[in-house]
Amino acid sequence: MSEVTEMFSAPLTFNWTLSYRCNFTCDHCYSRDEECPELAFDDLKRIVDVLVEQQVPFINFGGGEPLIRHDLYEIAEYASKAGLNVSMNTNGWLLDEAAAQRLKDVGFKSVGISIDSSDPALHDSFRNMPGSYERALRGLDALHKVGLKSTMSSVISRINYQAFRELLDLARDHGVGQVYLHNFKCSGRGFKNREDLDLTPEEWQAFYLEALAVKHQTDDLKISFDDPVIASLPEYQEKTMVKGSSCGKLSLHLRPNGDITPCGFIPVVVGNILNDDFETIWFDSPVLKAMRNKEATGKCSGCAAFDDCQGGCTARAFATTGDFNQPDPHCWK
Amino acid sequence: MNKPLRNPEIVWRVENRRQTEVLKALETGEEIEDSGTVILLQSGMMHQLNLIGGLIWQQCDGQQSLTDIAGELAKEFTVEQSEVESDVAEFVADLTERGWLINE
Repeated sequence: MSEVTEMFSAPLTFNWTLSYRCNFTCDHCYSRDEECPELAFDDLKRIVDVLVEQQVPFINFGGGEPLIRHDLYEIAEYASKAGLNVSMNTNGWLLDEAAAQRLKDVGFKSVGISIDSSDPALHDSFRNMPGSYERALRGLDALHKVGLKSTMSSVISRINYQAFRELLDLARDHGVGQVYLHNFKCSGRGFKNREDLDLTPEEWQAFYLEALAVKHQTDDLKISFDDPVIASLPEYQEKTMVKGSSCGKLSLHLRPNGDITPCGFIPVVVGNILNDDFETIWFDSPVLKAMRNKEATGKCSGCAAFDDCQGGCTARAFATTGDFNQPDPHCWK
Repeated sequence: MNKPLRNPEIVWRVENRRQTEVLKALETGEEIEDSGTVILLQSGMMHQLNLIGGLIWQQCDGQQSLTDIAGELAKEFTVEQSEVESDVAEFVADLTERGWLINE
């Protein structure tokens, strides 16, 4: 067994894509061109039953746009009544006050809304959806009004990396307690548009140094990063549950047909939650084992930071080279 | 605190495979002190409880008194209740101090 499976008998979180359908066509979207059959409601319930049996404590609905599926409320209620902690990420377009109240009523613990820029025109242009900025803010305000915890997700890219402070201020102004500054992934449309959107490794380093300094000076807002490459910075002092990418270690991803992938950005199916034995997948999948036991390759060989960063983001390395063990292309070392 | 209750804000689970392994190790007389069998998740941080701590934690449902919990633990390990009462009280006091248990 690896250190991960010695510690964890199942992931802590399933990121669950109920549908790849979306009402937006964002420039960086990993899944816009994905097509996958969707499951009927009874099968979704069967999945929740498996997650409960495996003692998975958290599920986070993503997509696609989760609110596109009208039975989102019913499956969330079924899951929360079974003891799961349910959250989701949405673009906010369909989230008015009535929807926010309903999400609260069915047991959502928190809802995240994606906002990429504090400049309305830039956000709308990036998301290819006029009016989306205003609707996203309306969503945050609706969550605040009904008393449901909100978070804000911003994928850092060339359009916003120099203006992240304004995103933090926007969050403050709309009652958000936590902001995720997500790292840019080169998957799907993000891969196609990476030359326009991605930063250079040196720019990533400068961004993280600046963002970490802001984080250390901020006590009214929780600022979170999910980029394992950041662990190579001495300024990064957080104690994380696992080293390197959390995908395949703390979390797994469910596609709309029940296929399991290590994360949404790695399109490698390791099994199907309805058709295969979950424990066999979790403990024995060669793909998950490879992700949990990465080997230092290329410039990672001999690098003192490898123990902490484990080569950085596995999804990014895999998207650009087809090899989990290659160094993260964002690495500045 | 008469009947300790787990803070509902804390998400936790028993790591069944590890618990089984630790119980096996216990039978063969191996050291088990540092092997966590219950994980607690709070605000993105994870904490682990060892076998004894985990068993106490599982019984902190707001229904059982310290005496009840000590009795269960004594039964589990076939020892006198008086031998474990102070350990249970100390452990519960520590977790209460941390905010992981609350008064009921």
